[in-house]
Amino acid sequence: MMTRWIRCASLAASMLLAAVAVASSKDVRLSGAGATFPAPLYTLWVSEFQKLHPTIKIDYRSIGSGGGVKAITDRTVAFGASDAPLNAREIEALGGPDAIVHIPTVAGGVVPAYNLPGVTAELKFTGEIIADIYLGKISSWDDPRLREINPGVTLPRLAITPVFRTDGSGTTFVFTSYLATQSPIFAGEIGAGKQVNWPLGQGGKGNEGVAAAIQQTRGALGYVEQNYAAANKIAYGAVRNSKGNFIRATPATMSAAGEGHSDALKGTVFQANIWNAAGPDAYPISAFTYLIFFRNLDNLVDAADAEAFVKFVRWAVSDGQKFAADLEYAPLSPEVRAQVESVLDRVTHKGQPLSTAK
Amino acid sequence: MSQTTPTPAATGDATARSGPSRAGGFGEAKRSVGDWLLGVLCRSSAGVMIAMLVSLLGVLTWSAWPAISAYGLGFLVGTEWRVNELQRPVRDDAGKIIFRDGEMVTETVPQMFGALPVMYGTAMSSLLALMIAVPLSFGAALFLVRVAPKLRIAGPVSFLVEFLAAIPSLAYGLWGLFVLAPFLQEYVGPTAERWLGGVPWLRWMFYEQVIVAGRLIERPIAMTGRDLLCGSLILAIMVLPIITSVSRDVLKGVPRSQIEGTLALGATWWQSCLGMLRYGRSGLFGAVMLGLARAAGETMAVAMVIGNNNQISASPFAPAATMASLLANEFQDPGEGLHRPSLLYVALVLLVMSLLFNVVARWFVVGKGGGVSAAH
Amino acid sequence: MSSALVRRRLFSNLMFGVCISCAAGIVSLLLMVLGYIVWIGFASLSWGFFTTVPTGDLSDPGGMRHAIEGTIILLMLASAVGVPIGLFLGIYLSEYDSEWYVTGPVRFVADVLAGVPSIVVGILGYELVVVPISRLTSSQVSYSGWAGAAALAFIMIPIVARTTEEMLRLVPRSYREGSLALGATKAQTIARVVMPAAFGSVTTGVVLAVARVAGETAPLLFTALGSRLLTRNPNEPFPSLTLQIYAYATGPYPEQKRLAWAGILVLVAILFVVNLAIRWAAHRHTRQRTA
Repeated sequence: MMTRWIRCASLAASMLLAAVAVASSKDVRLSGAGATFPAPLYTLWVSEFQKLHPTIKIDYRSIGSGGGVKAITDRTVAFGASDAPLNAREIEALGGPDAIVHIPTVAGGVVPAYNLPGVTAELKFTGEIIADIYLGKISSWDDPRLREINPGVTLPRLAITPVFRTDGSGTTFVFTSYLATQSPIFAGEIGAGKQVNWPLGQGGKGNEGVAAAIQQTRGALGYVEQNYAAANKIAYGAVRNSKGNFIRATPATMSAAGEGHSDALKGTVFQANIWNAAGPDAYPISAFTYLIFFRNLDNLVDAADAEAFVKFVRWAVSDGQKFAADLEYAPLSPEVRAQVESVLDRVTHKGQPLSTAK
Repeated sequence: MSQTTPTPAATGDATARSGPSRAGGFGEAKRSVGDWLLGVLCRSSAGVMIAMLVSLLGVLTWSAWPAISAYGLGFLVGTEWRVNELQRPVRDDAGKIIFRDGEMVTETVPQMFGALPVMYGTAMSSLLALMIAVPLSFGAALFLVRVAPKLRIAGPVSFLVEFLAAIPSLAYGLWGLFVLAPFLQEYVGPTAERWLGGVPWLRWMFYEQVIVAGRLIERPIAMTGRDLLCGSLILAIMVLPIITSVSRDVLKGVPRSQIEGTLALGATWWQSCLGMLRYGRSGLFGAVMLGLARAAGETMAVAMVIGNNNQISASPFAPAATMASLLANEFQDPGEGLHRPSLLYVALVLLVMSLLFNVVARWFVVGKGGGVSAAH
Repeated sequence: MSSALVRRRLFSNLMFGVCISCAAGIVSLLLMVLGYIVWIGFASLSWGFFTTVPTGDLSDPGGMRHAIEGTIILLMLASAVGVPIGLFLGIYLSEYDSEWYVTGPVRFVADVLAGVPSIVVGILGYELVVVPISRLTSSQVSYSGWAGAAALAFIMIPIVARTTEEMLRLVPRSYREGSLALGATKAQTIARVVMPAAFGSVTTGVVLAVARVAGETAPLLFTALGSRLLTRNPNEPFPSLTLQIYAYATGPYPEQKRLAWAGILVLVAILFVVNLAIRWAAHRHTRQRTA
């Protein structure tokens, strides 16, 4: 009987010691949440960064841009991630533009994917044509406007079925925002947003649902994220940009879209809509994805936590960018990167500036 | 019922006095801890049931309240479901876009939610399903009651029909998505278009009219296989077993004398069947209502094959959406503003509708139709 | 014979044939649907299906062991709550019917709740379980196995209650009266006489309810959410066979779609065996009693 109590007591004591040991270890734990688009890259960044700094443990949960914005507003996470830039109301809820840091990490794009049996060449589209397809004005693949920009390709007399996303997503936001710049009728009838009211076509849930619908419907045209299409070998077309060149979405062309937006930085908030960008090689349906956190990292308890976090972000926008291209994300162009790094110098913790060591 | 003689051991106890003539009529006094405990457990489970209903209606109404107060009953006839705001270019009287300082003048069109498209989708798919399923079910029920007993196959066939009811809707959804929809896309759609596309009064089936910038455009409907027709067919297959088995039970309850009476008067087999159908008409109506309730609430199979397009369209070859499929697709990550309350409003409407169908159905089947067990 | 009579007879024979073909049509539809499930599902089935978990690899997606375990755990959790409440409710409706002014409305409520669309139950589970938990733990959205089990229990309770009540009512009054005449209390009567007499059929009802709930997908969409990880912890998003089949079937990857067919075959096969066993047991039971 006595031995049983002794065993219990020693077990409890050893557990207590272990708990104390763990609690007093120098591990930094940070959490972030938000957009699903960059999630694979952020997960890779976190694991690569942890290899370099084993005591810094970061956890990223992809719950959607909306969830990420809410999480950072509720201060339940250290950083939030969003595909769409925050609007004025959301920034006010966080304390105003001087209270936050809002920076791009990588760029991505949305591509027009299609299912045209018998056509192996890569098709060309313009924003106006895509808008008219979704509005219903163009109903067949052999429409003269499509044939005009695709000379040499025999387009069959097949009905076009537009495919769209039924759930709210940054992909729809980027796609519709671009089309709204190309067609005022589109802007007036369908408009831009994470979720819009499509007059015709088939709906699918998520990138997978859209890809499945495109696969199963002959003559379908839909929109998916570029890295999703690349990873799953889905045929997609080139889109004409503002300089008249037909550009296919690749990390290089999406990065090019991010160039020339140096006037987008206002204080610590860098927001730029890089669709329909001006560069000759820019892919027109591109967008940044953003990281949002507080300029005064008082929501993190220790200065050590704040330093670790800033170290991570610095690493992500510099060394981490090489992982981006591997996963078909578009790295930040050099001038954007320089601006982001200058913003990071202004992050403080409890009024004290943080060391700028990498 | 006469009183039993109390045994000596139970003097002074209120033993099994004849209670009210219901099954399980018991005496009144509780005399042991076991009785008290069982009573508490049973009554609290009844309380749980009431709480379940109250919480269902209450939580949905509470969460949907912002949409209910914003739209009221007009929600049920609103045709637009738009989560985002629009920047609509303002046009002058001639229809041309107005420009000021080189920029288009636009007006902001706010969010708008209306449930009519999904209510239409639910109603049309359920009605089409019933139109296909009810004749088949009644015919099969007549077979099971009049013909099968003589052939000794009533048992196995009934088992098969009830097993059909137990198959999860996911299985029908998979079959519909991978077998029926491609079949409709490759064969049925193009064939129908080829043969019937020229018929003028069927034009609405193959051409749709779209309003773009104030102008009407007519365009042919693309046959994708995933449309209202496919959804209705799958729903028809899913409600067949329930209508068949309830109708069979109703028709079994028709007294032999009725059937023999009609035959004695010289009726043919079919005419005596008509007599049976007429006799059990309220129960049969209840069976149809049960099928309707099931069809209206069906989610997974419909979401997989109906095309998920939240618009009203006359043609069965156009994609559509039902209340249940809308919820399945959009509830996960709702947008801002009134999106989530509107989704909950739709859920509330769906709930009230199914409850109504079920209540009416049960009243006809168990009450008036007579004799059919409620365990369906 | 007058021509009108001939016509009527002919029409009657025609309708006779129509009725037979209706029944044949329904049976062949069933066989067609089942046939596809067996044919395609069987070709995709392998031992790996039951033993491996999802890999990230699209050309070799692994198996559905996590989903099978997930469904089993969800059913256990749901039954732990749903079966007792349903049983007690069934006993109440049958044995305490002297309080008819309460049992009448409660019976009505049970019938009404049995007809609630399962997606609405899932939404209720989200509002009542997922949202409060996420507020209390101030995490983002807490999908969990608990919420999924709660939604399944909600569906299970009215079904178990009504079938239990029906089966208990079939027990002859003489059983109860005899027991009471021997001096047993009401609780003893119910526990030792009535329930054992109805044991077989009540168990049948419970098993059928669990089987019905095993095939549900919609209530789990916004409660358990689904997961690709093998987990036994109901505090996090929880996998389920139905959710996994749905996710694979609505995606574009052919290997995953084959797994979806295999999964639905497994589900339908289990339901078939359960239904058959129930029928056989009931058949044997009635033969014994009437023999």
